[in-house]
Amino acid sequence: MILAISLVVAVVFGSGAFLVLQRDLFRVVVGLTLISNSAFLFIIAAGLTRGTAGFAQGAVPVLPIPEGSAASDPLVQAMALTALVISLSTIALLLSLIYRLYVAHETVDLEDISEAEMRLAEALEREEEPEEEEKPEAGQEEEEIEKRSR
Amino acid sequence: MTGSTLLVLPVGLPWALAVALALLNGRRPWVGWLAVAGLGASLVSVVMLTFRVLREGPVETVTGGWPAGVGIVLRADVLGATFAAVSVGVILVSLVYEVFVGVRSRTFPALVLFLAAGLSGLFLTGDVFNFYVFFEVSMTAAYILTGYREQDYQVRGAFIFAVVNLLGSVIFLIAIAALYHVTGTLEMATVAERVREVNPNSLITIATAIFVAFSLKLGLFPFHFWLPVVYVGSHAPVAAILSGALANIGNYGLLRFGGDILSEELALGATAVLVLGSASIIYGALQAISRREPSEVLAYSTIGQVGYVLVALGIGGTVGFSAALIYAVVNSLNKALLFLVAGLRGPFVAAAFAVGAFSLMGVPPAVGFIGKIAVFKAGLAAGGVIQATLLVALIFLGSALSFVYALQIYQRAFLAKEPQGGLWDKTSPWTARALVVALAALVLAMGLWPEPLLVLGEEAATNLIESGGSP
Repeated sequence: MILAISLVVAVVFGSGAFLVLQRDLFRVVVGLTLISNSAFLFIIAAGLTRGTAGFAQGAVPVLPIPEGSAASDPLVQAMALTALVISLSTIALLLSLIYRLYVAHETVDLEDISEAEMRLAEALEREEEPEEEEKPEAGQEEEEIEKRSR
Repeated sequence: MTGSTLLVLPVGLPWALAVALALLNGRRPWVGWLAVAGLGASLVSVVMLTFRVLREGPVETVTGGWPAGVGIVLRADVLGATFAAVSVGVILVSLVYEVFVGVRSRTFPALVLFLAAGLSGLFLTGDVFNFYVFFEVSMTAAYILTGYREQDYQVRGAFIFAVVNLLGSVIFLIAIAALYHVTGTLEMATVAERVREVNPNSLITIATAIFVAFSLKLGLFPFHFWLPVVYVGSHAPVAAILSGALANIGNYGLLRFGGDILSEELALGATAVLVLGSASIIYGALQAISRREPSEVLAYSTIGQVGYVLVALGIGGTVGFSAALIYAVVNSLNKALLFLVAGLRGPFVAAAFAVGAFSLMGVPPAVGFIGKIAVFKAGLAAGGVIQATLLVALIFLGSALSFVYALQIYQRAFLAKEPQGGLWDKTSPWTARALVVALAALVLAMGLWPEPLLVLGEEAATNLIESGGSP
């Protein structure tokens, strides 16, 4: 049982890690979802085998169960639930960030986006450069242009 | 005021106010000032809590009036209260700065308050899982704040920041689940007691996972790749919050989990921690020297400065832990000052930057000197003669390199003739400049009167070692 669960956790984590390394931003988000889901599986699995350390001696469970029957730890399920909600909100935030990038660049491919940004930065630099030289040489340039137009 | 009220106020006040402010338009000045007032009250309560903790020892309360062992424990000791006070202080200064400059987004004040509530919550909790929840509250607010001003590169930076740190959070969550599985409790104090009876093999794995998770937050050397992209793009006060307040999660987490809960595992892995810290110092400083943009230099310098905290942590003992705490506090003040100044132009700004740069290098009147001296002392206390010599030489080299890059920024940003018609032509509002000068004065004052900081470091380290057991 332990082997089966750890295999499942490993496979889910591995496929998530593979997807996170893709260029497509949606795949990155799906990969992150898979990775966090592997963490939830791990948390639940941590409560399946009942350790002696954490079990309160002589505690009465809310739901009456026969003495000595197997029970899983309820605390890990509460933990998984909390983590699930947090992960849901973060994934929603990531999707909204992707949408924001899509609106700006009309693509969700990371390489295309950084290319577009490079182009923008170059365009900005080209705009700035003449401004720097404008002060000493602006007059001359204008004269030259005037000469040419004549 | 009773201890438990003081414990709940720093978390509850900004949280309640944040929920209310989220519905209002944050671009209006009065909304911003309301947030400042709430955060100011929260800072006052944290400082009062720190004084009480120093005088009377740790304050503890169980939420919701549950019996101990059932409810979630809130607990403040010197370490947590100090980090909470510094982080809330840095966030408050950054928020005031942004209100002076002009808030451009509806949600900015509310998000900053959420971040402050999450941070003080995680510094003042005594429960491992609660730590994770508060950590996520502040991180989620930070992801959104990174995209503040909504330039394309900022949104891209926010995406990268969120993806990388979410991975770190998942690793931390797995480590918590494993820690719960082997000890059967989530309460930090009980976990620290029970781990001594656990099979060391499984604990090493857990300790490594926790170390990786916090190093990722801190931007330590092999985990640093995301940090420059995020810091360079983000708006000045956001960068100040990220490096002055949010990075404290990593510092606090390493001190709490390494020094207190898993102290034996830290002692076992001390060599690895020392090597990673040293690599981080050298790598960060060399990269910082090779960059031109001030914010990029500061981002790489952050990677280097984290290394000092790691080295102090690796040395361990009272001297090492107190040096780690003092250096972390000093570093968050320095970085907050420098990042805020980097976004301003006008008279007195260069002077404030010079104070920050001197503090970064560790030149005497500034508080950075106190931090460097503490790490030097820790280095001298380390193991054998060879190790001590190596460490002191390393710290000296790191400081010398920081001299080079700090003065390089000063030269490029403030001494060189600026291109006309650029962004930097406008003089920033005098209020924001006055704020930065006041922060610089604080950095100087703390350097001239270092007694409180040293006492805090000493007390926190003693507490850690007492509760952690082994040296």
